[in-house]
Amino acid sequence: MATKRKGPMNELPKASAGTKRAKPDESSGDDDDLEEEVPDEEEQGALTRVMDKFSFAGARARANMPVGDAVSRLFKRDELSFLKMKPDHESRPMWINPRNGKIILESFSPLAPAAQDFLTAIAEPLSRPTYLHEYRITPHSLYAAVSVGLDPKDIVAVLDRFSKIPIPNEIVQFINGCTGSYGKVKLVLKHNRYFLESSDMKMLQILLKNPVIGEQRVISDGGDEDGITRESAPKMGALVIPGTKIAAGAAQGQQITQQNGVDGEEKREGESAEELFATVTALKEGEDDDDDDEDADAVHSFEVHAEGVEKVQKECLTLGYPLLEEYDFRNDQRNANLDMDLRPQAQIRHYQEKSLSKMFGNGRAKSGIIVLPCGAGKTLVGITAACTIKKSVVVLCTSSMSVVQWRNEFLKWSTINPDQIAVFTSENKERFRGDAGIIVSTYSMVTNSRNRSHDSQKMMDFLTGREWGLLLLDEVHVVPANIFRRVIHSIATHSKLGLTATLLREDDKIQDLNFLIGPKLYEANWMELSEQGHIARVQCAEVWCPMTTEFYQEYLKETPRKRALFYIMNPRKFQACQFLIDYHEKRGDKIIVFSDNVFALAAYARKLNKPYIYGGTPQQERLKILQNFQRNELINTVFLSKIGDTSLDLPEATCLIQVSSHYGSRRQEAQRLGRILRAKRRNDEGFNAFFYSLVSKDTAEMYYSSKRQAFLVDQGYAFKVITHLQGIENLPGLAYDTPIERRELLQSVLLENAQNADVNSIERETDGGFFDRTRGDWRGKGGAVVKRNAARLSGLSGGDTMAYVEQNASANKKIKVAPGQQNKFMKKLKSDAVKKARG
Amino acid sequence: MAATAQSMRGFEHLEGLPEAVFKRLYQQPATALAIFRRMLPNLGKTFVMAMLFNPDPIPISSLEAWVHPNKNSLKEEAFAKLRQLHLVTERQGTFALDPTFKVELKKALTGGGPPGCFGLPCDTDDKKKVDVSFLDKYATEQWESILHFMVGNEVPSSRRPSEGVVRLLLHGKLMEKARSSQETIITQLGFSFLLQEVNSQVWTLLLLYLDMAEQLRMDPVDILHFLFLLGSLELGQDYDMKSLTPTQKGMLEDLRDYGIVYQRKSSSRRFYPTRLATALTSEVRALSSPATTMRNAISQSDENGFLIVETNYRMYAYTNSPLQIAVLNLFARLISRFPNLVTARITRESIRLAINKGITAEQIIDYMTANAHPQLRKNTPILPPTVVDQIRLWQIEGERMKATHGYLFKEFTSNSEFNAVCKYANDIGVLVWADKPKMMLFVSKHEQIADYIRKRVQSNK
Repeated sequence: MATKRKGPMNELPKASAGTKRAKPDESSGDDDDLEEEVPDEEEQGALTRVMDKFSFAGARARANMPVGDAVSRLFKRDELSFLKMKPDHESRPMWINPRNGKIILESFSPLAPAAQDFLTAIAEPLSRPTYLHEYRITPHSLYAAVSVGLDPKDIVAVLDRFSKIPIPNEIVQFINGCTGSYGKVKLVLKHNRYFLESSDMKMLQILLKNPVIGEQRVISDGGDEDGITRESAPKMGALVIPGTKIAAGAAQGQQITQQNGVDGEEKREGESAEELFATVTALKEGEDDDDDDEDADAVHSFEVHAEGVEKVQKECLTLGYPLLEEYDFRNDQRNANLDMDLRPQAQIRHYQEKSLSKMFGNGRAKSGIIVLPCGAGKTLVGITAACTIKKSVVVLCTSSMSVVQWRNEFLKWSTINPDQIAVFTSENKERFRGDAGIIVSTYSMVTNSRNRSHDSQKMMDFLTGREWGLLLLDEVHVVPANIFRRVIHSIATHSKLGLTATLLREDDKIQDLNFLIGPKLYEANWMELSEQGHIARVQCAEVWCPMTTEFYQEYLKETPRKRALFYIMNPRKFQACQFLIDYHEKRGDKIIVFSDNVFALAAYARKLNKPYIYGGTPQQERLKILQNFQRNELINTVFLSKIGDTSLDLPEATCLIQVSSHYGSRRQEAQRLGRILRAKRRNDEGFNAFFYSLVSKDTAEMYYSSKRQAFLVDQGYAFKVITHLQGIENLPGLAYDTPIERRELLQSVLLENAQNADVNSIERETDGGFFDRTRGDWRGKGGAVVKRNAARLSGLSGGDTMAYVEQNASANKKIKVAPGQQNKFMKKLKSDAVKKARG
Repeated sequence: MAATAQSMRGFEHLEGLPEAVFKRLYQQPATALAIFRRMLPNLGKTFVMAMLFNPDPIPISSLEAWVHPNKNSLKEEAFAKLRQLHLVTERQGTFALDPTFKVELKKALTGGGPPGCFGLPCDTDDKKKVDVSFLDKYATEQWESILHFMVGNEVPSSRRPSEGVVRLLLHGKLMEKARSSQETIITQLGFSFLLQEVNSQVWTLLLLYLDMAEQLRMDPVDILHFLFLLGSLELGQDYDMKSLTPTQKGMLEDLRDYGIVYQRKSSSRRFYPTRLATALTSEVRALSSPATTMRNAISQSDENGFLIVETNYRMYAYTNSPLQIAVLNLFARLISRFPNLVTARITRESIRLAINKGITAEQIIDYMTANAHPQLRKNTPILPPTVVDQIRLWQIEGERMKATHGYLFKEFTSNSEFNAVCKYANDIGVLVWADKPKMMLFVSKHEQIADYIRKRVQSNK
């Protein structure tokens, strides 16, 4: 079982080619991602160079291998038994591998909680099951650590405190090497002018000597002969993140000490900063709290032309000094403030607080990515960030469904005026009133450059024509770097916050996000959140369905490309699905069934008489079905295609069955699991959500299935294999129970396979689902497809055992109107409420 | 426990000995006792005890009356064992215990018999007396050096196993000469040997020794007598060689190489049995305890568990012993090694390779359970069930077809006869397959069935 989560750092630039080849079908790619065009050669080169510089390759070559014992050869270069253990190693929780920066942590050690907090700040979590966790120090993770204000000296010191072995020289050199260049130079937008800022004078001088950067410098009169000005470093100050405990305290404090507020706030500043950093610098107790040393905290800066910022960024990347972006929003006078705050009932949880404290660490907003499991409240984190910055915000998400959801969440959690939050989709192109506000849109709306309608062009001009305080990027993992580059260039924004549950892709395109948005600021531990009841506990199971003989025969005959439909439509799998639905509906669960393949989706749903939604389902019908699923006691199961993978908020769902899926995509598996993590009933005693993955035995699906689970398994989830469902034979009305029925099914599958030369073409349709018809121009393109079937006259007249067949009708049509709206009185109440809200 | 099953399998080898050999074996009280303790099922022991002090033969029907009708299979198993070991003679529906066995077992239980029949303790004190911990260390070192040699670890030449041991390993096909070089390499059998518990390893090796000794024209009865005798000796006591036969004296040298007995010099007339010896014929169920003690001695630490298996198929072993690492390498992919920790991963590939080497999923699971870290022991079940299931499933994956050796019975004259034989075969647990309409059945062992059919035919006449 391949549980490799991410390729080692040093292989990054080349790895993508390798992973591509491993896939059975080159054309398939990751269909729910926007298409990526040929990468920008020049920039790619720059990235490669930076990566090479900070890999452990050098360290490896230097290390000499001492002679070991008889089994040493089994470990090759990871034979580390020559390392000396500290005498008191028993009481320390971690090992560190000098060859690749991997850290192994004993989670049962008393010191582990502190060590975990520290490691999530400086390293990438690789696996976090019950007993031993693995992390890896990478250039990016160190980049993130530095950006939240950690000092390389402290990193090494704290590592040393936790480590069972003295920190090897390679690691120290690596940390110093990375941090020496990362985060030293910051790009700051202040008074709407761009400054390069650094605490190290020499660094700026090096940069100024570079012809490209030097050219972009704005000569001002305030500084010394180099044009470098000097000022004191910013502090967290009185900034409070709304919704946190400190916020509550601050509000109280303001009332009491209004007269001498300055004094009180100064004091609290120390406290809050200390509390926020307690997690990362917990072990610095010995040091003085008041760092009044002017020299250490002074920063130097010079201004660059706004137009030249991108050139400078690129040049700094090449030089190995990537720029850190920060936004000093409290001193931003030019952009109007947006009057909004979190509602008092919004209490943010400890991990949300922790992640936000990383973002607003020194009183400025840093750009970066926050990784939280689905259902753990990513939206609230985004809203809180927006409420902290209090400037105009652009929110980009993946579908128009989630556009609506985001808007509603904003209205629910913050005090924003409904007029100031506007939606930009293909159906809806409005602007907000006033000079500051929020716009919610989709990636495809913003990036699509072809054939814009007049309205959307005007809207785009509005977006690109002004400055924004914050760019919120939902489900940031789906969008490859090039799209981002386009977004970021077209929208002038001071800070960027990416939100996702699964920062991983089968290709390595994710790495570019580190440079384009910012480092990963925080990644939550799934198991920990589940234990604390923030997300539901889930029982995962993989159900093995043997192939029936007829299907397996056809499966073996086909080329690998066309095999998929046979293992998806396997009658045994169908029966298992039927049995599980029946079983869980009786338990009172609400069930979502996922199928990537639309043919199978429709076939399953129609046979079982359940509603289904795919890319082609009209918006109105979707909402109707979803509302019924949420409120109607008779509709307990809904079939979803890929469009349901992300951003679909269905807290009622407690059980999930996966019929077909996208090859070995770990992300899809995790995203789908996310659909049931926010289950409403999660805090009931003994409640468990259920996640079933149906797999046809002895087919390629088995291989993909184990690949898919890798991410979740590393998060500590355990997949139980079920080889036989108890009592399935006795289910009344079991589908495809007779050989004749099975043969008929096989015929229809064969027919479908013949008509659709490439089964994956069906998936393109769901790709449209991701675009979600927000792109007005998508619909007209394809036109009607002409199908031509060869048949003999005798066949058509019934000679080829063709006969009249009763087709199952779609259950979609049976759902009439969403409950609750049927009643005229209720309708009137609602419209009155709307009127009132509009004022 | 699988380990118990392993050593029991070893004993099946003994069951095939001819009747004359058994008759001679029973001439020693220690042997009679050992056979009674180790080779009989519990019900069989009860039957023997019932007959032991009864001067007359006992009707079979009265023995049958003791058994609950539901447990017929147990009864048949016990009867079959008694017949197989030639412990009973059957006459006119009665059972009589073998007279020699009866006398010697009585002696063993009540005391008596010639001096030295349970070993002759030395009458003089050893000037350089050794204690139990020394013996444990000695046994461990000797035994481990054999295992190290098997997995191909380089051991200091002083601790290299002797020629005799190597010959034995080759003879038992636990190792073989590599085709290209003169080196000996481990075989599939050897790998599964490594995963066994120490006690069953010892028995496996001793039975191989017995097998080889027969080829060298040594008397197997003499050897078995001595082995069974060793099992009844006391740990830490020194014994005199005086009472041993020449064959047995010769054996001492070999047993010393295995670490089963200790002698200071080969000329010394006294010898000490080690824990390996005294655990030989312990009660079946008590088996695990001496084995655990032994394992503790081998891992040289108080914590007996060092393995942590995670739900993500990673395995962490707190060990630095090359032997343990080599064993882990049999079924897991090793990743990295710190001074006191080895990380590894269980993969489908690694399990498949292990199974190809002749290791079974059960052996792997037993090994991991037996060596689980104290942290894991807090859970029930100890190992993550998903991992255990998966390992079993990986094994089953490769076992789509299974061959069973056995015998086909066909052409029954009547339906009733077929049914009776079928039922009997099922009762003694040898029935593999039966087809009623065709009146054919397939069994794994035929002797008893043939007997049964013969008896039926006779009684019908």
